Amino acid sequence: MNDARGWRVALVPDRLLNAPQPVSAALPDVLRVLEASRYGILQLPPAGEHSLLLAVIADQAAEYSHHGYAVVAIGIHGEPGNGLHWRRLAPLLRHRGVALPPRHIIRPELDATAEGERLTAFLSEYDLPLEERRRWRV
Amino acid sequence: MGESKTVTESDSPRKVALVASCLLNQNAKVCQGANYPGVVSPVVEALRSRGYLLQQLPCPELAFAGARRWWAVYEQYDTPAYRAHCRRLAQAIAPLIEKYLRHGDEVILIGLDGSPSTGVRFTSSQPQWGGRPNRPEDDWEIVPRRGIWIEELEAELARRGLPALPATGWALDMGRFDEAGARRDLEQFLDARENRGSREDPVT
Repeated sequence: MNDARGWRVALVPDRLLNAPQPVSAALPDVLRVLEASRYGILQLPPAGEHSLLLAVIADQAAEYSHHGYAVVAIGIHGEPGNGLHWRRLAPLLRHRGVALPPRHIIRPELDATAEGERLTAFLSEYDLPLEERRRWRV
Repeated sequence: MGESKTVTESDSPRKVALVASCLLNQNAKVCQGANYPGVVSPVVEALRSRGYLLQQLPCPELAFAGARRWWAVYEQYDTPAYRAHCRRLAQAIAPLIEKYLRHGDEVILIGLDGSPSTGVRFTSSQPQWGGRPNRPEDDWEIVPRRGIWIEELEAELARRGLPALPATGWALDMGRFDEAGARRDLEQFLDARENRGSREDPVT
């Protein structure tokens, strides 16, 4: 039986998945870029207190990181913590023995097409070292 | 960015789809169970084209049994420990759902039919299953019942006095997957809601 998983996961702010107008017009279609880049999504909640939910998300990110998946974080410039709840999420990840994932920050003030291309390049360039991939991705 | 929020964004009721974790991330599936690299595009397209915001639910199986787990049926996950785990996850996501509902948003749930955890209309059942998986000889039944995660999530919402959510499932775990049929089914569910032409009363 074939398994089509892409072995890549992105932590993504709610604001990037569900951007309201007119904000969305200034942003690349992140969901479409992730889909084309074969990434799955771990959605972060909107701004606010979400201690338990962030812990649950950190549990999932840790499970991926420990088992051969490439995990990245995509933030948005201008949002508190880049929309990633980074001040709370980073310690939760460290506590679970996870090296902090590489972060890419979208800048809404720049051209959306160019930002989409920059995101695509970031996603395609990042992966785990070959020996890690061979170890897990059978 | 908060300062730039428009009146429309803040005040108007929205359409929100709670989606099973693996519909945005197929890496959450059991070994040999992923049908897409990452995002399940037909589901996302159907929801976004109708104006739904997406709210991903946590994956209970991934956080409980891990990324390298085998497939299982309802009865294998029907344990006190797994139900307690699902209740913890429900308590984590319920405040967000409650916020949407109390704001007057239309909230729907898209699960994963056939899943022992996230099934909405159907789950997989085989009381005799146990031990080492044996595919393709293993046989199981699809029965009309919620999965355990959905049961616990709905129980948590009910504890908070929230109404039952309109729900359906993307038929990915029903045995042989028929994408065109699953897409038709989902679109019928969504279009039937559009055609109702009115929202449920906001939760007060």
